[in-house]
Order: sequence, then structure tokens, then C-alpha cells
Amino acid sequence: MHCTRRVFLAGSCVLAAPFVHAQSLSTVRFALTPVFLDNDADVISALQSALSEGMGRDIDLVQRRTYQEITGALLDGSVDAAWTCGYPFLQHESELSLLGVPVWNGQPLYQSYLIAAADDPAQDLGGLRGGTHAFSDPDSNSGFLVTASDLAGLGESPETFFSRTIFTFGHRNVVRAVAGGLTRSGSVDGYVWEVLSKVEPELTVRSRIIARSEWLGFPPFVARADRSRDPVVEACTSALLGLSETQSGRAALALLFLDGVVRAVPSLFDGIAERMAILKGNP
Amino acid sequence: MSPAWFQNLPVTLRVPVVTATLMIVLGLVASQGVLTALRRVQDARLVETAQLHVEGLSVALGPFVLRQDVWEVYDILERAQAASGGQRLLQTVVADERGRVLAAGDPKRAPVGSEIGTYEAGAVGPEAVTMTGDPVLRVMSPLKYQGRDVGRIVTELDVTDLLAERRQASLWLLFGNAAATVVLTFAGWLAVARILRPVGTLVRAMDATEGVPRPIAEADIPRGDPGLARLITTYNRMTTAVEARAEAERRLAERERFVSLGRLSSSLAHEINNPLGGLLNAADTIVTYADRPEVVRESGNLMLRGLKHMRDVARAILDQNRMDRTGQPLMAVDFEDLRLLFEPEVASREQTLDWRIAAGDATLAALLATPVRQVTLNLLLNASEAAGIGGRVGLSVTNGADVLSISVEDTGNGLGPDHLARLLSSGPLPPGGGVGLRLAHDIVVGLNGQISHTRIDGATVIRVDLPAPVPS
Repeated sequence: MHCTRRVFLAGSCVLAAPFVHAQSLSTVRFALTPVFLDNDADVISALQSALSEGMGRDIDLVQRRTYQEITGALLDGSVDAAWTCGYPFLQHESELSLLGVPVWNGQPLYQSYLIAAADDPAQDLGGLRGGTHAFSDPDSNSGFLVTASDLAGLGESPETFFSRTIFTFGHRNVVRAVAGGLTRSGSVDGYVWEVLSKVEPELTVRSRIIARSEWLGFPPFVARADRSRDPVVEACTSALLGLSETQSGRAALALLFLDGVVRAVPSLFDGIAERMAILKGNP
Repeated sequence: MSPAWFQNLPVTLRVPVVTATLMIVLGLVASQGVLTALRRVQDARLVETAQLHVEGLSVALGPFVLRQDVWEVYDILERAQAASGGQRLLQTVVADERGRVLAAGDPKRAPVGSEIGTYEAGAVGPEAVTMTGDPVLRVMSPLKYQGRDVGRIVTELDVTDLLAERRQASLWLLFGNAAATVVLTFAGWLAVARILRPVGTLVRAMDATEGVPRPIAEADIPRGDPGLARLITTYNRMTTAVEARAEAERRLAERERFVSLGRLSSSLAHEINNPLGGLLNAADTIVTYADRPEVVRESGNLMLRGLKHMRDVARAILDQNRMDRTGQPLMAVDFEDLRLLFEPEVASREQTLDWRIAAGDATLAALLATPVRQVTLNLLLNASEAAGIGGRVGLSVTNGADVLSISVEDTGNGLGPDHLARLLSSGPLPPGGGVGLRLAHDIVVGLNGQISHTRIDGATVIRVDLPAPVPS
């Protein structure tokens, strides 16, 4: 009888240990920008599960409307880590550190697409002069910086080149705006457009790629530089880098059409830095 | 006034036609009522939809219109349109306070920055939207936010389904009413035909007889319908009266021959009396001078002439009255007989008689003697009476192609309206007066002939044309 009770108590302790451990650790707050696939609750849920499992603690995925809000939340400590864009990372390079970069089609790179309606006669950026244009976010590399820097190279600005520009705060929204005829053209993340062409082909079929940028550093996962040694941040880093090694992580990556997450160095984003320089007038 | 074709319809068809017409009118009135109610319901639905749509969008769009956030306005419109399933809301256009389009559900039709005025054409407020027959209705409303107008909103409502609903209701009403009308009309026809069957029998009895109404058998009188039974009984009495009248007319016509002779009787008696005196004198002379052969011979000759004359007169009278002459053809001698009978009448009035018989025998023979003699005698007697003392009476009988013309002329004062009515028409006779002229008219009509009356140079001419087809 005593023996049985001891065994039960011991078993209970063993079984309860993970719960005690999880309850004792604070919840990780991870920020996502709706620039990515904001409409897919399954993707967000799968990512949350995978990261939570990888870190062994609860994770709170925080969504904000703009990169600016994400960066602000990251810098003021409201969130522990974030999936942002190379452009805001470079804007705050001194204050942020890279946790990892997603790998898409075997490389941590992507392109910016200049798109227009499927029946639009424009052949290049010059052919879109005077039309309306949809950007994703003023702090987005593919959704603003690439087109704006191309125009700067031509001695133009979006305000002078296009009749009207709008920000949709979502790459999918850029495709919607162009496909629906709200704007004549748009600047969109090439990775998002390609993924959409698989999951929502009825949307992308109404748009056409007019121009592709050079390959640029994929939007990275970042944290505040001064917290790079923080166990939470380190746990987050290892969870991200290990996504491809867990079942839930692979499921999340499959939904995101990504291969995995790898370590990265800032030089990956040199192309974006060059475009920033062009925009500032220092090519 | 009902049209002639309707009046010509049998009553068993007229009543169902009237029933059907009334049913159609009733159906139209009822249908109009139903459609009006349907329109009212649809208008109420439209107003509710339009107001909910505009009010809901005003709340959602207000801050974005104020900030002129094109994307958010478009995003809300697109989601609102998707939520409605795109069935009622066809297009919504939102403009800023200057009337420039911020976004539309279908931006290709209403590009960003264009003037909203184009889309406001024909638009009404959400409270005033009503079905006009147009499949697309436009609703316009100011966009209010925080108590002030920040823009305008124009919505196109697709009411194709409501129009189809109304069209379907109209068709159902039409077919329903048509079916009800057909069924009720047929039922009405059956019922009326059954009810009016005795009337049909009555009509057939009146129509299907050769000018003589036929009484309806007692067994065919519907005793269950007192009104109709009374009608048919009255009809049966009427047919008896008609038969009696026809019989009376027939007898009258027979008697008229005697009447006309009666009118001649005094002159005829005189005609017989005159030679009779001569005959008596001659006989007395023979008795007195029996021994004088030359006197006896002369008296015998005188008696012979007188007796011949009396024989001719007697024969003419007999011919006029003999029933067995019916069916004999007309000949010139018939007119000679008439002259023999008529001359004493002329002589008694000291009248002049113009007698001209110029018709060919073939034409005369195409007609029957009895009716022609009767007509001619009646007209001559009438002419002699009209011409008065010392007047002139004439008879002219000629023939044309297949026609015999008998003209009787007198120098009298002409026929009065009553006499003309008797001679020229078949209408009812005024009371009083003789039947001679009417009898002449009836006989001529019976022979398919025509009577005309003219007044020439103070003389009355009555001309009778009788068809007399001469066999080739």
C-alpha cells in the first residue's frame, strides 16, 4: 500500500514536471507583421505551436499593422523578437541583432515584383507613369524601397511619377488592389506573390509581373541587440533554427512554403543597403 | 351598345362571354391589387436594405474617408460586397467631400480620383428608393462622421431578383386568372346552356318552320321554371293566333275576288239589264209580228246579239270566280275578260279608258292567270274609283326581257299615305279601309314581283313588274 502511494507520487511528480516548468517560465512575445499572409490563421497557429514547442514555453504571437509599429514594439521591449523586413532591420541595425533568416527555394533570398493588371500594356516601370500605384508599407523593402529607389535612380519620386500612391499594409493587399483594379500597379514581395499563386491562383492570375528586382536578403527574424544573450531570445533563436527538425516546425514551414531558418550575417542585406543609399541620394 | 357580332351570338354563348369578360375584369382588378401590394412590400424591403447598407457603411467608412485612406475604404467595400454575396449590392462608390472617388467596390467602373457625379445620375435617397422597372437602382447618401458630412456614397442595388419575382407573380396571376376564367366560362356555358335549353327549343320552333310558327309540345315545357313555362305557353298561344290569322287572311283573299265582283255587280246588273230590255222587246215584237218573217229575223238577230253579250259577261264573271282555273297560264283573252268586266264600271262614271295589251303570248304564258287577273282588277277598280266622274283610266301591259309590266294609270288626286302603305309595304295595316290594295301587294310579293308608284303630270301610275322567265 505504502509502496503504491510512493510510486503514484513519484509518477505524479514526473508527469507534472513539464507543467511546473512551463508555468514557471514567462510567455515569449513574438511579433509578426501582417505584411506576411495575414489572412491565414492556420499559418499563424502552426507557427505558434512550432515555436512554443521549440522553446518549451508559451508564446504569444503579436500582430501589428505596420513595420513601424513592430520595430517600435521591439525597441521598447513590448515584444521579445520579431519577424520583420530587411529594410527596417537596416534602419535600426545598431539596435537590432539577427536571429535567423528563412530559406526559400534553397536560399535566404527573395525578389521584389513590380506587378500590374493582367491586361495592362506596360512593359516596364516607365510604362506605368501617371498611373495609380499600391505600396505595401513605407518600411518594406520589396513593397516600397525597391520601386522608390528605382524611381530615385531615374530622378523621380513615387509622388511625382505616379498619379496617386496608396499603402495597403500587406503584400496580399497589394495584389488585391492591382487585381481588383483599384490601382494600376503595385510593388509586392516576390515570395508572397509566388506563394499566393499557389494558394490563391484566382487572385494572382489577374495580375502580371512587369519587373523583378535583384535577389535580396529575405525578411529576417530579429531581436533587440542588447538582449541577444537573454535566455528567452536564445531560446527563440534555437527554436527558429530548429524548426525544420521538429514535426510541428516542418508543418509550419510547409504552410509557409519555406525550407527552414538559417543563421545570417548583416552582409546578406547589402543589396537593400545599396537601395537605401540610392533613395537617400548617395548611390 | 353591344356590337352586331355579339348580338348575333346565341344567348347560350352570350352569357358565358359576359361571364368571362367579367371574370377577366375581376382578375385584372385583383391582379392589380396583388401587384400593388407586392410592389409596396418590395419597396419596403429595398428601403430597409438601402438604409441598413448606407448606415452600416457610414459607421465603418467614416474615419477612413476622413483620412482619405483609399485602401481601407476599398477593403471595407470589398468585404461588404463579399458578405452580401454580391446579390443585392452591385456596386458602391465612395467619394470624399469634394466629390472625388476614393474607392469603389468595382474600381474599374469607378476609378480612384474620378468624379462621383457620373454615378449620381438617377440616384435617390435610401428612404425614397422604389421599384421603377430598372434592374439596377441607385441610392445616394451623404457620408456622416462625427456629425459632419465627410463624403458621399452611391450604391447600385441589383433588383433583378425582385423584378423576376414580380414577373413571376404576374405570370402566375395571369395563368391562374386565365385558367379560372376558362373553367368558370366553360362551367357558365354548361349551366346557362342547361338553363336555356327550353329557350333554344323555343328559338328552333320559331326558326325551323316555313314561315309558320310551330307550337312546342307539352312534354317539352319546363314545369320547374315558372317563368320559362309561362313564356312557352304564351308562345304556343301566339302560334295558334298566328295560324288563325293566316287562315283569316287566306279566306279574305278568296273573298276579295267576290268583293271585287261585288263592286262591279251594279254595273254588271245594268249590263245585263240593258240587253234584257231589248231582248224582251224583240221577243214581244216576234210574238206580235210572228207572221212577218223579216221582222222576226231582225228581232231574232237582235236577240242573238243581246244573248251573246250576256253570255260573254257571264263567262267573264265565271272565269273570275272559277276555282278550277287555278294553275292555268295567263293569256291575252284574260285581259279581254277584265275589260268586259271593267268597262261597265268605267261607263257608269263616264270615264275614258285607255286599254293597251302589248305583251307577247310567251311572256304572258310564263305567269299564272288567276293572281295576275286579281291584281290587275284590283288596281283597275282602285284607279276608277280614284279617277272620279269623267276621269281617265288606263291599262298598259307590256313585256321586257323575262318580265311582264302592268301599268295602271288614273287621273285622280293620288294615293293617300294609308293607301300607299297598303300597296307598297308589308307592315301592319292601320284600322279601317279595304284589303284590295294590300291583297294586290301580297300577291305581287308572292310572285317575287315589284310594285312602284309614281305621279306623272297629274296622273297616278302604279306599275307592277312580274318576273316572267320565257323558256328558251
